[in-house]
Amino acid sequence: MVPVRYNLRNLRVRWVTTLMTSLFTGLLVCASVLVFGLVDGLMRTFTVSADEQKLIFLRKGSDNETSSDIMRETADKLTNLDGIAIDPATGRPMASAETVTIQTKPRRGDTLSVNLIIRGLSESGRSLRPAFRIVQGRELRSGTNEAITSPSIAARFQNCGLGETLDINGTPFQIVGLFEASGSTAESEVWVDSNQLALARRSRAESCSVVIAQAANRAARDAIVERIKSDDDEFKDLEVKDEKQYFESQIAVIATIRKIGYGLAVFLSIGAMFGAANTMYSAVASRSREIGTMRALGFSRRSILASFLFESVVLCLIGGVLGCMATLPLNGLSSGTQNPMMFSEVTFAFHFGPRVLLQGVMLATIMGLVGGLAPAVRAVRLTIIQALRER
Amino acid sequence: MKLLRYIFRNVMRNKLRSLLTVMAIWMCLMLMTFLYGYLASMEAWGKEADKYNRVVVMNKQGFDGLVPEKMLSEVREIKGVVAAVPFSWFGGRYGDGSQFFAQFGTDPEQVFKVWAEYKIPADQLEAFKNDRQACVVDRELAERLGLKIGDRVRLQGTYYNFNLDLKLVGVYDPPETTLSLFYNVKYLDEGLRATAGGRGAGNCGTIFFKGASADIIPKLCSQIDQHYESSETPTNTQTEKAFSQMFVKMQGNIQNFILFIAVFVTISLTLVAANGMAMSMRERTTEIAVLKAIGFQSGRVLTLMLGESVVIASIGGVLGVGAGRGVYALVHWAAPMIVQTSRMPWPVMAWGLVISAAIGLASGIVPAVLAARLSVVDGLRRIV
Repeated sequence: MVPVRYNLRNLRVRWVTTLMTSLFTGLLVCASVLVFGLVDGLMRTFTVSADEQKLIFLRKGSDNETSSDIMRETADKLTNLDGIAIDPATGRPMASAETVTIQTKPRRGDTLSVNLIIRGLSESGRSLRPAFRIVQGRELRSGTNEAITSPSIAARFQNCGLGETLDINGTPFQIVGLFEASGSTAESEVWVDSNQLALARRSRAESCSVVIAQAANRAARDAIVERIKSDDDEFKDLEVKDEKQYFESQIAVIATIRKIGYGLAVFLSIGAMFGAANTMYSAVASRSREIGTMRALGFSRRSILASFLFESVVLCLIGGVLGCMATLPLNGLSSGTQNPMMFSEVTFAFHFGPRVLLQGVMLATIMGLVGGLAPAVRAVRLTIIQALRER
Repeated sequence: MKLLRYIFRNVMRNKLRSLLTVMAIWMCLMLMTFLYGYLASMEAWGKEADKYNRVVVMNKQGFDGLVPEKMLSEVREIKGVVAAVPFSWFGGRYGDGSQFFAQFGTDPEQVFKVWAEYKIPADQLEAFKNDRQACVVDRELAERLGLKIGDRVRLQGTYYNFNLDLKLVGVYDPPETTLSLFYNVKYLDEGLRATAGGRGAGNCGTIFFKGASADIIPKLCSQIDQHYESSETPTNTQTEKAFSQMFVKMQGNIQNFILFIAVFVTISLTLVAANGMAMSMRERTTEIAVLKAIGFQSGRVLTLMLGESVVIASIGGVLGVGAGRGVYALVHWAAPMIVQTSRMPWPVMAWGLVISAAIGLASGIVPAVLAARLSVVDGLRRIV
């Protein structure tokens, strides 16, 4: 084998080229990792809470919470169904009838409005969210025009900060607290008391949008699903999905975004491969005599091929690792876009986890391998005599 | 002219290196052209909208709010309103749901007065007016779905608890494809009243109207909003352009994100090209010194080197923009919900070419200046 030191020293001697090559592979890896981190973060928002025992009751035919509606009377029956888990703290069933509405509200620093989800719910809805907790301010008091929201919505929307007042159809709601819920979609919403929301919207209080319930166990879940499916009386207009199924339809759209993101990374990498190949070709061309000498000393073709491939991979990996590291300060950065299913703002956090970073490093390795292959083959195809004769 | 030939010869000298640089720029610019095209396509609606003097009335609360039927007749009475129609999003599922397109409930009598630029044969429009269960679709949508006049179009309601059973009676040609379907909102209203207990009935969703001229529109907007300010249903009235921008805004930070990626790619490509040029320059040190020795001035040498890098980058640029245009059309064909128009706005392509030339200039500058500054003695002495 050709000593590793030989390659590393070569990279150091040609440091300008090395630096430039690593920089551009680094930038392209960085761009790809940013895309991966965005898609991963967006995906996590929808999958962090994908509990198969958490059930969502919707009106049949509606595919998301905003287009669903359920009569209050039916909702009451649903929240008291057999098989729903009992909250040990309150002794009440873990089920919540909720009203979801979309209001157009301006983002901070903007005059145009975008859609924001307002959810009216009762106390029992809290325990149904993953790790719900108030991080600032306090919980809202039911029966008052108070609201709570997440820190990311507070930062993104006008009048949604702690202590500010949000207008809902002419009724002012004061934001009294900020909550977190493991970065789930709940963090893209403003929560108010369900009765107060109905009053503010002057809508019919006898209906709500959805019922969310936690099944006690797997068997109870299946029993409830079967119950709703087979019922042709009071629940005949209803449909029930577990949380995983419910989010699947929303994820389908994100899966498309992911495909585009991966396509982007592939093309960027191909571009980077050509750049890396360029560098390696010139490295090989200027070292013909060295290669000839090594061959004359008895290094096999295979070990010289491996040596150049190794050099190429190292070259790209320097950039790849730097590119990945450059994204780390952005980890957890909160951002927002449109939820295509709910047609409203969804906030998410960029997520550069081990998987995403590994993808970045692998991308760099592949760039180096593929980009270095043709130059390395050229290096070993010369006969010893030819190689030694070159300038 | 001679200089140009010399530049071309230089480009072709190390074919492999030039080819690799061209390929790198090709790949990355293809991507950027596509992404920029995507951004531009989102804004295309707003850019075009202004010339048609259309205004949108919606509930101040947003799309969930009510726009009562009676508001429509009141808007029609306002002086300066040429035509007004309800425009209500149905959001139905067609077939297995894999083909997603927009369906709007509207008024057949006036809809093609509000969208006067859409072309529809008179007999088809007449058929649309006369049959309550009739619908008309955009030409491209009809082709995509394989629909012919007379076919049934069944839409399963998701937002409304009612399914539409429509008959296709006409195909219209908009200036830019919209992939939308128009049906008579009265059909939905009657259906909702009869079967769904009236939930959702009597709602226009939004009202689109055409103003007589552009200069009265701001006044019309504020007039309508003031009128309904203290009513049960306060309104938000805005031009079609502002309305369309709302949808662009909804994409949120994605736009900045794409710009961010584009900057990274541009810098990176400049480095790729600069690297190639630096290598060429290093190989030709002696030659440049000879050129200078026989009387080439520094300025000429500079032009020679810069010209070479610009030519290489521009070849990559032309190929990249062309390929990006192709990818754009391909994505429109495969995923019309993401790339909604088939034509890419030409400024996008023009910018792609400008950026590629700029990459050429920026990447050539250091090697070119080094070459221009090279002293003849140093250059001739150097052993490559």
